[in-house]
Amino acid sequence: MAHARISMYLPPDINPTKAAIAYGCRALPKLNEELNSEDLLTRQKALMALCDLMHDPEYVYEAINLGCLESLKSLLKDSDDLVRIKTTEVLYIMATHNVGRNGFLENNVILALSFLMNDPYSLCRQNLHQAFKHLAQLPSGAHGIVDSGLISPLVWKLQREEENIQELILDTLASCLQEDATEALSSGAVPFLKQKLVSDNKDIRSKAARALIAISIPLGGKNQVWKHDVIPILVHLLKDKDGEVQANAAGALMYATVTTEGKYAALEAEANYPLLQLLFSPLIKVRLNATKALTMLAEAPEGRKFLQLHVSTFRELESDQNEAVRRAAHIAIQVIEWKP
Amino acid sequence: MTSTLTDRTSRAMGTYTYTSRPRVLPCQRRRYRDNLLQPEEEPMRYGNIMYDRRVIRGNTYALHTGSLLGQPDPLELQKEQAAKRRALARKRAQEQLRPRTPEPVEGRKHVDVQTELYLEEIADRIIEVDMECQTDAFLDRPPTPLFIPAKTGRDVATQILEGELFDFDLEVKPMLEVLVGKTIEQALLEVMEEEELANLRASQYAYEEIRNVELAEVQRLEEQERRHREEKERRKKQQWEIVNKHNETAQKISARAFAQRYLADLLPSVFSSLRDSGYFYDPIERDIEIGFLPWLMNEVEKTMEYSMVGRTVLDLLIREVVEKRLNNYEQNISQTQRPQSDRDYLQRTQYDTRSSSQERRFMEERELLGQDEDTEMRRTLGNTDPAAGGAWEP
Repeated sequence: MAHARISMYLPPDINPTKAAIAYGCRALPKLNEELNSEDLLTRQKALMALCDLMHDPEYVYEAINLGCLESLKSLLKDSDDLVRIKTTEVLYIMATHNVGRNGFLENNVILALSFLMNDPYSLCRQNLHQAFKHLAQLPSGAHGIVDSGLISPLVWKLQREEENIQELILDTLASCLQEDATEALSSGAVPFLKQKLVSDNKDIRSKAARALIAISIPLGGKNQVWKHDVIPILVHLLKDKDGEVQANAAGALMYATVTTEGKYAALEAEANYPLLQLLFSPLIKVRLNATKALTMLAEAPEGRKFLQLHVSTFRELESDQNEAVRRAAHIAIQVIEWKP
Repeated sequence: MTSTLTDRTSRAMGTYTYTSRPRVLPCQRRRYRDNLLQPEEEPMRYGNIMYDRRVIRGNTYALHTGSLLGQPDPLELQKEQAAKRRALARKRAQEQLRPRTPEPVEGRKHVDVQTELYLEEIADRIIEVDMECQTDAFLDRPPTPLFIPAKTGRDVATQILEGELFDFDLEVKPMLEVLVGKTIEQALLEVMEEEELANLRASQYAYEEIRNVELAEVQRLEEQERRHREEKERRKKQQWEIVNKHNETAQKISARAFAQRYLADLLPSVFSSLRDSGYFYDPIERDIEIGFLPWLMNEVEKTMEYSMVGRTVLDLLIREVVEKRLNNYEQNISQTQRPQSDRDYLQRTQYDTRSSSQERRFMEERELLGQDEDTEMRRTLGNTDPAAGGAWEP
């Protein structure tokens, strides 16, 4: 008996959960219309198709020109969970492209996304924070996040979120704080970061230390770091097993000891010995930051006295492979051997 | 299907070929309720063909045209309806003719009475007996079976033997190439994207390291500068203060030395000046000076004035006398020689006056000398006073 169907099974490349993508330049406009349709299934299928398309930067550009971001923004407020999860995933993929990031900034997507920070589904929040993290790596994006006043909610969320989301928030914060740390300082981010420094997860420790680096760049940050007694914890972290943690802790110390109070606090916490140990570490970043931190300590007379005994180590570092390490070692020797 | 079955069995038998093999038709009469679940178990009931209404018998010239599938024939319908109406009319007519019991006389009523031997109780209430009968519980209406329409058309079958259409391996090659190629291309794109991202992240990481270090260096240098500057400022201020103090002390010392030296003479000079200005005086001497000497001087002056007065008087006398004599002489002369005597007179008068003036001058000089002595004495006495007064002033 002849039938139009050849077999009872569907062809293998049709995914019933994805909408069919129209040919050529009709693909995105049609998907845009489907996004605004009333039927839930249509919207979901259109979102899944959009997810796949957004990996290509040309499609991202076209989508932003067509104004897909408006439809996506309205979909963020949808009541169905899958729709929201998929929308945040699409936005996250768009944020990995520079065109997408610029589009975000022009279309005020940040504000719309921030409403979802309290969403009950963790996948949704994870995508959201990944989008923020990618956005924050662009300087204007970081400014956008700071201007929307999202720093204090992010810092507050740090307490209550799951671990992998905490890592993403810490990354976002580190990038934003490198741009503008004043708001974070006024919302008291330093005690929270101090708590995170003693967490069990090594990634969280290293990222918290990196955020502390960023926050202690301005002078106000350095003073707050000293006041909240973060320096002894950082010295303790120098003895940590993980290289990243050591590197970031040394970096935070390097900034915090620029002020005189910081220097003496570090000297009191006996930061010299661990830092000297770190000079032999295999990671470049660790050696670099440790050298710089010791340079800061050598500005103080007690530090200089102690380090004069160890000048030979620095001479060894002067013949290191990496140029930055060589320069840092040279400067360190200059500072140690300076006579007033 | 049946057609294929037919073909096969006919081929086996070898005599006839049927398009539709003769089969027994089932009876339409159903005795039991339809059991849709097991239609096969019940034996097929066959009907007798002689009594089958579908078989046409007898005269075929006046056939039932409309009785197919139970559809009512309109002619028959009409006939039936007419027959019914006639029957009704007949019944009604007969009812009217039927003899009935006459009506009761006035004041009486007909009553039904039983006349049999055995009386029966007649009651309005009908004797009811409850009978129960149980059927099976109602089943849910089963879902409608899938409607498979009756097959129409002809069935045709064909058989493709191996190797007749195409060689699979040859044909599949380009398709496979395209499929695999596309898949691998997609995979490559994704891997490249990830690799690009990883590279970007690595270079960002390296850049961030260097940036952090440079920034720290800048801040450290700033801090160092600031501290050095502050130190310098403090030291400069210290030095300046030291120099200031040094100057001040030097000035103080010199001032003190100068004051000391200046005031060293003070006491003796004070005493000497006081003594010079006459504040330390011997009272007797003073008294002599104040009291006695002025009186002495006054007396001296008086005496000298007397003498002076006397002298002046003498002078006046002499003068008068001389003038008189002169006048007399002149008169005498004038009487004798007038023109030459003028000159002489003039000369003489000049000479006289000169001589008299000389005389007077001599007198005056003497007086003056005498006066000069007095004035000198007074001056010396007076000098001491202004000298004493002058010593007080500076």
